[in-house]
Formats: sequence, C-alpha cells, structure tokens
Amino acid sequence: MSADPPAVDPRVLARARARVLGVPSVPAAEPAPPGMTGASDGERVWLLPSWPDAATPAMLEEYEVAPMPLDRTGQARRVLAAALRCCWTRLDDAPWPGGPAPVAAVLEVYAGMSRGDPELARRWATGELRRLSDTGWLLVDEEAGAVRPGPRTALWREETLGTLRDLLRRLPQPPPEPEPEPAGDGS
Amino acid sequence: MSPTSGNAEAAASLDDVLVGEAVLGVYRQMFAALARDSGAVVDDPELVDVAETLLAAFADAGEEGLSREQMRYVCRRYSTEVFENRLRVLKGLGAVREVFPKPNQLRYRASFTSVVGLMFVRRMMLDGGQSEMHRLLALEQLNVADPRMTAGQARAGAEGLARAFRLWSVELLTLTNGTIEELREQAPKLWGTEEILLRAERLHGAILRRWPELDRACTDLRAAIYAYGDASRRAAARLSDSAGMTRNLTLLPPETWRTFARTASRDELAGVLDGFVFDAPAPWHEPSAVVTAVEDGPRTTPPRPAPPRASVPDPGLSDDTGGDATAAERLREVAEQVLRGRDRVAVEDLLAQDWVAARRLLADLSSVHLHPELPYRLVWSDGLAARPDGLPSWVTPGVFERTGP
Repeated sequence: MSADPPAVDPRVLARARARVLGVPSVPAAEPAPPGMTGASDGERVWLLPSWPDAATPAMLEEYEVAPMPLDRTGQARRVLAAALRCCWTRLDDAPWPGGPAPVAAVLEVYAGMSRGDPELARRWATGELRRLSDTGWLLVDEEAGAVRPGPRTALWREETLGTLRDLLRRLPQPPPEPEPEPAGDGS
Repeated sequence: MSPTSGNAEAAASLDDVLVGEAVLGVYRQMFAALARDSGAVVDDPELVDVAETLLAAFADAGEEGLSREQMRYVCRRYSTEVFENRLRVLKGLGAVREVFPKPNQLRYRASFTSVVGLMFVRRMMLDGGQSEMHRLLALEQLNVADPRMTAGQARAGAEGLARAFRLWSVELLTLTNGTIEELREQAPKLWGTEEILLRAERLHGAILRRWPELDRACTDLRAAIYAYGDASRRAAARLSDSAGMTRNLTLLPPETWRTFARTASRDELAGVLDGFVFDAPAPWHEPSAVVTAVEDGPRTTPPRPAPPRASVPDPGLSDDTGGDATAAERLREVAEQVLRGRDRVAVEDLLAQDWVAARRLLADLSSVHLHPELPYRLVWSDGLAARPDGLPSWVTPGVFERTGP
C-alpha cells in the first residue's frame, strides 16, 4: 500500500488520515500528528484538530460567519445535555473522560425533558445519539448499550462550563440503576 | 407568356433599377457596422465598437445630429486613422449621412436601420441565433393567423424556416462528428429545446390547416424539423456519453443530469466523486449553546428559573470590596490637617500656594464636604474676587468648617 512513496512524512499521513476519518483513536503510546491535540482516557488517545489561539468554533458567531450547518441543532444539543447528565456525574471535574452510563438512562432523561410521546422522543434521541457519536461528541457502545462523553468535550474551555454545570444540576435525575439491563437496544 | 412580361424580363426598366437600388440601400445600411470597406466585412471587432459608439452618440444627440468634431470627440478612444476609416465606410454605405445632402454639410445623422442591424448582430453573437429562431417562429405564427396573409407568403415563410432548420441540423451534425471539445463549446448554442421543436410543429400545423394546398412545403418543413430534432438528440447523446468524466455541470441541460441521477447505477454515481476526500468540519456544540437549546426546548414542566448569573465567565469577587473606611479615614486626616485645631478656615488662604497642589486639596475638601459621615462642610459666599496676578485668577470666598465633633 505505502511501499511505493516512502518520501511522505508519516506524521503528515497520520494527520491526513485523522482528518479524513473524523475523530480516530490511536493507542496512547503513539504520538499525535502535528496540528492535532490528543484527548486521552488513559489507554487510547483521540486525535482532535487543535484550534489556533485556543479559539473554538464559537468564534465564528462573533465574526458572523455561518457555522457548519446542522439539522435540528436544538434536538442534538438537548440529547447531548441528557447524555452528559448521565455520564458526567462529578460535575466539578471536567466532562472528559467521564464515566459510562446506560443508553436507556439517557433516553429516559431525554424523554423526561421533552414534551410529547415519550416513545417517539426515545426514537429521536437514539438517532441523535448515533449522530453525536459519529461526530465525536459522545462515545456510544451500541452493543453494550453504554454511552460516555466523547473526546470533543475535552475541547470545551473550563471557564465556559459554568452555565452548563448549572443546567445539568437542574435536569431530571437519571433513573437509579439497580439492575443494569441494556437488552432493550438490540439493533 | 405574354409579350409584355417577356419584355420586362429582357430589359430592366429604370423603375426596376430604382427598386433594386432601394433594396441594396437597406442591405448596405443594415450591415454597414460590419463592413471593413464597401466590399468586405470587418476583420477586427474593435471596428464594430467604433460604429456602436458612434450610433449611441447619435442617439443621444437628437435631431441636431453631430458635427465631425463631435464625432471625433466621442470616438477619442480610437486612433484617428481607425476613426477616419470607419467614418468613410459608414458614410459610403449610408449608415451616417449628411443632415441635408448638399456640399460642405457639417452636421451628420445616423440611419435607424444600421442600429437595428447592429442589435440583431449582437444578439446573434450571444446565442448563435437560437433565440432569433424563437422570435421568427413566434412572428410567423402571428403572420399565419393574420387574415391578410396570402398562400404565397406562407409558402415563402415555410420554405425559409425549413431551410434554416436544415442548415441548423447540418451544422449540429458536423459538430457531433467532430471533436468533443468543439461540440462542448458550440453545441449549447445550437441544439434545440423541446420548446423550439414544439413551436415549429405548431406553426407547421397552422399553415397546413389554413392552406392545405401547401402540403408540399409543409412536408419539407416537417422533415427539416424532425431532422433537426434528431441532430439535437444525437449531439446531446454524444455529450452525455463523454460527460460521465466531466464535472462541468453546465455542459448538459439540467433535465439530462436529473435523468442521469435517476437512472445511473450506484457505481456510476460514486465514480463521479473518485479522487475526492471529504473533510467536513464536525459540528460544534458550545456549552452555552447546549444550555440555550435545553432552555428553549419544549418541556412538560414549567421551567424552573435559573439563579441569576451572567452567561459570561464569572471572574469571582473583586479585590475592591467597596468599603470606604480607608478613604474616609484619609479624608478626615486631610480635613484635620487643614483645620489644625480651628473650627473654620477660609478657603482662599488654603489655596494660596502652588495651584497644582492647591487644586488637589480643593478636590479633597469637596470630597470631605460630600461625604455623608464626615462632620465638615464647605460654605461658599456669593462674591467673586478677581486676582489678576494670582494663579487661580479668580476665587470665590468660602470657609471650610467643622459641623460636629
């Protein structure tokens, strides 16, 4: 595969791969390619783009530039909040790496947050969970039915988290999990 | 054949020559803008621009016309030689002529026919005559509906159109068999839309209904229309065969792309994006945006009000606690220093020193006066003492006094 062009810097290749694949994870021992920051949970490290001057894409709003278009942003963010309510249990710490929580609990919290048919809300939320997982905001393990904060949350700056912490304290409690039964999510 | 008509054919009368000359005059005026000299067509597009500039200037000038100097001024962008040459040709062909035909005439006017001819030429340049064809068809349709139209005119119209369609399809066919680049470049000007074919067929039907005896000319016209439709389709097919490899979406009409998208296999569709890498930025969810989304979202229970807190990062308590015990203490010291045990002291005495220091003292005394807890006050009189030599050159007499313990 890479036998013919040996001249390419492997770090450049790694960076290109990281950009194409989205948020790939590599063993923690591997170095991060230039221009990427790693969010590590101990064993693996997720490669994220690093912003110049520690600015986040929220800066786009200040410059009145349209951000990356996204369908139903409100719903995606509400699901993200519900997921964080379950996995970011120690609110005084940073959200990353957080801890795993059952997907069912997240759906329950989301259904409690929103109005209307709870069954429908759960289905919407499942879709949003997948999308958030695709973009690295959550790590969803569908087989185990577990969700944990995604590496992108590591890019949140500490001083912007105050209102989010307040919000999460006010969200409905996740249901207690006496018997973890993630059998509800077959496929 | 009557002998008279034989005679007329044999020797053209003076009247015939006059008629022919009038027709030629219109031809000459019409294409004067394109003439290089009275015998040839321009070989430099700039020459046409000169003519256009001149005609526009004539339009602005009104019935007065333009003198030679004015014409030269309008065309100052072009060299004298070019200008003179153009003027000579335009005059020779009758596009620009004297207001009155007499010697040493200084003012000129332009011919209307030349402007129309030039407009027509420009339009032909834009779309290669396709829209002209639309216009012709529409006009012809109107003519056919006109009760004054004769069968002879209808026949002439149908034959002209048939000829145009034939030539059109021949050109298109030649292109179709030529190189693909040329086809790409030229074909959009030439190939027909459904509309033009529809219109032509409607016209053909109208002629045939009104003058059934013209069926021969109509057959020719119909054949020409179909030939043109076939040529058009063949050119499109040739292009769309080669278009699989291109991403220039303007190459084909949108309908063709839609058909392609609907009928192509998955591999064909994916092949279009071969060699592309997608690196879209991931969506970003700012914490404050998450908070906003949750708070704006639909909810079952009435919202619990959040504690009042700024959405900007909270820097914590400031070091300046706002207590003014220290400030009050300092002001009291200042006041006691000024009074030096007395109960009242005149302000102008206090100010009898360097003004830079005195004004600071005055500011402090005003603060003492305004401080609600300090038992001192400033009392100003109504007078004003002018002191031309003093540094505050005027001063209002007043006292600073103690009001309490």
